[in-house]
Amino acid sequence: MAPVEVRDLSKRFGQVEAVKNLSFDIEAGRVTGFLGPNGAGKSTTLRALLGLIHPTAGTATFDGKRYEDLDRPSGEVGAVLEDASFHPGRSARNHLRVLAATGQHPPERVDLVLADVGLTDAADRRVKGYSMGMRQRLAIAAALLGDPEVLILDEPTNGLDPPGIAWMRGMLREQAGRGRAVLISSHLLAEVAQSVDDVIVISRGEMRAQGPLAQVLGGDGGPVTEVIAEDQAAMWSALQAAGHTAVRDGGSMIVHGLTPAEVGRIAGGAQLTLLLLTPRARSLEEAFFALTGGEAPA
Amino acid sequence: MSALLRAELLKLRTTRTFLTLVGAALLLSLLVVVLTALLQDHFTHRDLRSLFAGDFTGLFILLLGVMGMAGEWRHRTITSSVLAEPDRLKLLAAKVIAYAIAGIVLSLIVTLAIMAVGTIILSSRDLPTLDVTSLLNVIWPNIATAGFLGALGVCIGALVRNQVVAIVGVLIFSFVVEPTLLGLVSDVGKFTPITGAPSGLTGIEFGGDDNKLLHQVPAALVMVGWLALGFGAAAALLRGRDLT
Repeated sequence: MAPVEVRDLSKRFGQVEAVKNLSFDIEAGRVTGFLGPNGAGKSTTLRALLGLIHPTAGTATFDGKRYEDLDRPSGEVGAVLEDASFHPGRSARNHLRVLAATGQHPPERVDLVLADVGLTDAADRRVKGYSMGMRQRLAIAAALLGDPEVLILDEPTNGLDPPGIAWMRGMLREQAGRGRAVLISSHLLAEVAQSVDDVIVISRGEMRAQGPLAQVLGGDGGPVTEVIAEDQAAMWSALQAAGHTAVRDGGSMIVHGLTPAEVGRIAGGAQLTLLLLTPRARSLEEAFFALTGGEAPA
Repeated sequence: MSALLRAELLKLRTTRTFLTLVGAALLLSLLVVVLTALLQDHFTHRDLRSLFAGDFTGLFILLLGVMGMAGEWRHRTITSSVLAEPDRLKLLAAKVIAYAIAGIVLSLIVTLAIMAVGTIILSSRDLPTLDVTSLLNVIWPNIATAGFLGALGVCIGALVRNQVVAIVGVLIFSFVVEPTLLGLVSDVGKFTPITGAPSGLTGIEFGGDDNKLLHQVPAALVMVGWLALGFGAAAALLRGRDLT
C-alpha cells in the first residue's frame, strides 16, 4: 500500500466539476511534482486529501486511512498550503507552540524546526513584520513540527529568494532520502524538474500524465533530435523532402519523431556536413504544454 | 481534549488584543466603581449590589469570543487549526470551553477587584457596604454570566465569519435591540441572550425595572438554551463547510 492513495476523487462546486475521477499514488522515498494550469484542480485535490474539503466522490487516504481518521494527523502528515496564514500579532514561536499543543507534539520540537528553517533569530518577532519568504519558512516549520512521514506542499517556493529555493530543494531531497513521501505542487517548472522523481500532471480536473519524470518527459511524441548542419537551409530542405519538419531553436534545429541515426542518414543522403547531432529530451515545460494543451502553468 | 484546551488558552494569551481588552475591562469597571463610590452619597441595598455587579468583563469576553473565532476565518488560521485537529466539533468545543474559562477567571478577578476598591472607599466614607453573603450572591452570577458570554461569543464568531460584521452586529444587538425590547416588550426582551437572560441571573436590570426580569433559575435555563442553540448551529456549519 502506497503511503498516499487517491482513488476516483471527484469534487463538484455547484455547476463546476473541479476534480474528475482522479487516481494516483505517492510513493515513499520519492518527491512527486503535482502540476497543472490555473484552475486545474490542484489545490482542491490537496485540500480534499487533507480533509479540508469534502469530496463529492472517491477517497484520499494515508496508509489506508482518511486524514481525519489518523491517530496523530499532523504527526503523520505535514502540509503547507498556498494561503499559509498566521495571526499577525502572534510570534513565530508562539504560533508553533499553539500548533504543537494542538497536535500533541513535544514542545522542544518548536525550537528544532525553527532552527531547521533558519528562523531562530526572528522567532520572537510578531509575524506581521515577516517578509513573504519568512512566512513561507514558518509554514514549512509548522509542517515539519510533527516530524511527519508524508509532506504535502502547495507552492512552497512562493516568496523564497534563490538561496531559499535552493534550501527548499535540499530539504525536499533530504526528506525523501529519509524515506518520506513528498508531494509538491509548484508553478516553477524548471525548479520542479530539478527537485522531483515523479510527476503528476492534471488539467481541467482530469489526469493528463503520471509517472517517473523521465517517462513523462519522453511523452508519446517519440524521439527528439537536435541538429546543426553546415548548411542549415539545405538540411531543412532535406528533412522536408523526407517528409519531416523541424523547428528552429537558436542556431540549431529540433526534429521531432526522428532519432539521431535517422537524421544522420537523411543528412548523409543529401551529402550534408553535420556540426552537431544529439538526442534531446523534452523539457518539463515542453511536456507540460503538450499535456495541457498549451495552458499556462500555475 | 485537554491538549486542545491548552492550545486555545495559549492562543488567547499570546496576542495583544487579549491583554488590551482585559486591561480595558478592569480599568473601566474600576473607574465606574470608584466614581460612583466617591460621588454618590446614599446607597440602598440594590444600589450596592448594582455597584459591585458593575463588572464589564461580560461585554469584553463576548467580543473576545467573537474575535477569537471569527479571527480564525479572517486570518485564515482555521486551516492550520483543522489540520492540527481535524475533528471540527472538538475544535469548536475546546474554543467554547476556553473562552468560558477565560470569562470566569477574568470576571472573578475584576469582580473581586471592584469589590475590594468599592468597599474600601465606602468604608472610608462611613457608608454601608455589602456583607460577605451578599457579595457571594453577586460574584457567582457575575462569573457565570461572563463564562456564558465568552462561550456564546465563540458560537457567534463561528456563525458570522466576517469579524467586523460580527462585532458591529453584537454591539448593535446588545446596546440597541435588547434594551429596546426590554423597555418596550419586556416579555420578549427578558429572554434575549446578551442582556435579557443574564440580567435575570444577576437579578439587576441596569437603568430598568428588575421586576420585568426572569428569575434566576429560568434565566439560567434560557442561557443554557441559547448556548446549546448557538453551539449546535455553529457545529453544523463548521462541520459541513469546505475550507477552500
